[in-house]
Amino acid sequence: MIARLARAGVTMGVLGIVLLPIYWMVATSLKSNKEITQETTLYPHAPSFANYLHLFSQKEFGAYLTNSLVVTAVSVALSLTAGSLAAYAIARFRLRFGIEEKIGLSLLVLRIVPPVVILIPVYLLMLQLKLLNTWLGLILTYTAFNITFCVWMMESFFREIPVDLEEAAMVDGDSRFTAFRRIALPLAAPGIAATAIFSVIVTFNEFLFALALTATPRAMTMPRGTATLIGRIDTDWSSMAAAGVVGALPIVIFALLVQRHLVRGLTMGAVK
Amino acid sequence: MSAIGLGKGRARLQGAGLDLALPYLLLAPSVLVVMGVLVYPLWDGLRASARAYRYGAVIGEIGFQNYLALWSDAQFRNALWVTARFVALSVAIETVLGLALALFCLREFRGVRLLRTVLIVPMVITPVVVAIVFRLIYAGDVGMLTAISQALGGGQVHILGDPVRAFIGIVALDVWEWTPLMFLILLAGLQTLPVEPFEAARVDGAGAWRSFVDHTLPMLRPVLAVAIVLRAIDAFGTFDQVFVLTRGGPGEATRLISLYGYDAAFKFQQTGYAAALFVTVGLVVLAFALAAVRLLRRVGPA
Repeated sequence: MIARLARAGVTMGVLGIVLLPIYWMVATSLKSNKEITQETTLYPHAPSFANYLHLFSQKEFGAYLTNSLVVTAVSVALSLTAGSLAAYAIARFRLRFGIEEKIGLSLLVLRIVPPVVILIPVYLLMLQLKLLNTWLGLILTYTAFNITFCVWMMESFFREIPVDLEEAAMVDGDSRFTAFRRIALPLAAPGIAATAIFSVIVTFNEFLFALALTATPRAMTMPRGTATLIGRIDTDWSSMAAAGVVGALPIVIFALLVQRHLVRGLTMGAVK
Repeated sequence: MSAIGLGKGRARLQGAGLDLALPYLLLAPSVLVVMGVLVYPLWDGLRASARAYRYGAVIGEIGFQNYLALWSDAQFRNALWVTARFVALSVAIETVLGLALALFCLREFRGVRLLRTVLIVPMVITPVVVAIVFRLIYAGDVGMLTAISQALGGGQVHILGDPVRAFIGIVALDVWEWTPLMFLILLAGLQTLPVEPFEAARVDGAGAWRSFVDHTLPMLRPVLAVAIVLRAIDAFGTFDQVFVLTRGGPGEATRLISLYGYDAAFKFQQTGYAAALFVTVGLVVLAFALAAVRLLRRVGPA
């Protein structure tokens, strides 16, 4: 009995600590600035969506959202395609000089280095290529970062698939590539899903490179736009809260929908 | 495991030109993109770190002078010190809380599923938004802490204006955001442990604490070590949340190394100096990772 009570107590406590800050942001977004600054209420007494309407009618949130969706979708698709192929090569082939192993190791090292380390030269590169403030500049950057992650994840998924299946297919007349496409790829589908989900979340949320590489609503992503907005409206608390809710909503919904795969992707690196 | 790509002697494979080239074709797209967008910039950053810039233009090759300047820069040392404290404190708290929570959730009971679902939210929310969440908590006049304090009859609570409290404030943010990841990793690790030692311990009449210290902890050590190293490297590069929440202030109290480097590059246009700073940061992280890998090899799977 006491054990059950304690368990319930801890559960409620943890839920409270996680959810209370989020509740506060949502509650603030539904209040008027007068209610926030003069009454400091604990919940919105006259909830209204005025802040949200304001956000989408005046501030360029529609553009930010479009930019984010395009950049995320394209770079995740590209990196997943390129990364899966490379991962398969590393998992299955033994090349001269152990090239495949060296490539795998280099990608892992690149993954360990914090992205901020190459922020300046990537900025200079995009400046040279005239890709500042464009979708393409962000897509290239994110694709490269995602590839390092994708190869590493997918390699271990391909290694889990028994080679015999592909060998059998080749005995039956499949080419090397057809065996990959018909046998290995479908079997690796859960791994591809986990990798894709993780990449989508990281890419959608990325801020540092978006901050350095974009400057106007033409290419600014959601996090970048949100940060700019709250820099401009320092004490417009209700707009800030509404921007936070809108900024977080797409990715939180996405994460909760694909929860099961997500946990696998998050924990895999350490437990394997 | 047999390698079925080359030289496996399958009749169809031998001499088939495209099949011989296949692995290289598979590797090419990834290698090209990574070379162009990551490796070349890395090398370019090294070059930039040996140059002097004025208003974004190169004005001379100066060898190691940027690095020597770093050495004697009190603000750089402060940023390193703040970062080290931030990483150590955050990761330590997250590990202890994450482990406690994972042990707590190991026994299935009603509520665990809900708990696991809810705990996903902090780590997937956009870090910029996490910063907004905490600004709305810390704001002295209208924040959640002040609202709660006033509802209980207290006064305003000010966090971000005070150096010590602001630092604790960013640690609290990191703990809120990343304890769930520690929890998930350690829970997955705990679930892979064999049950026999625990049953034996129970038969022997060992208490829960003894069983934890004698069996759980040693067996969990490899997972624990990897989780701590990964989290520490990640925390070392923290930027978004602190940039939006405090911009490094008040004064330099929360100015992490990434923020200092960013300001040097983009606010003060000291491109070469900032490049040298980031090369140094990269080396520090790699050295840390290497040391960790060697340590892990020694610890080994227990």
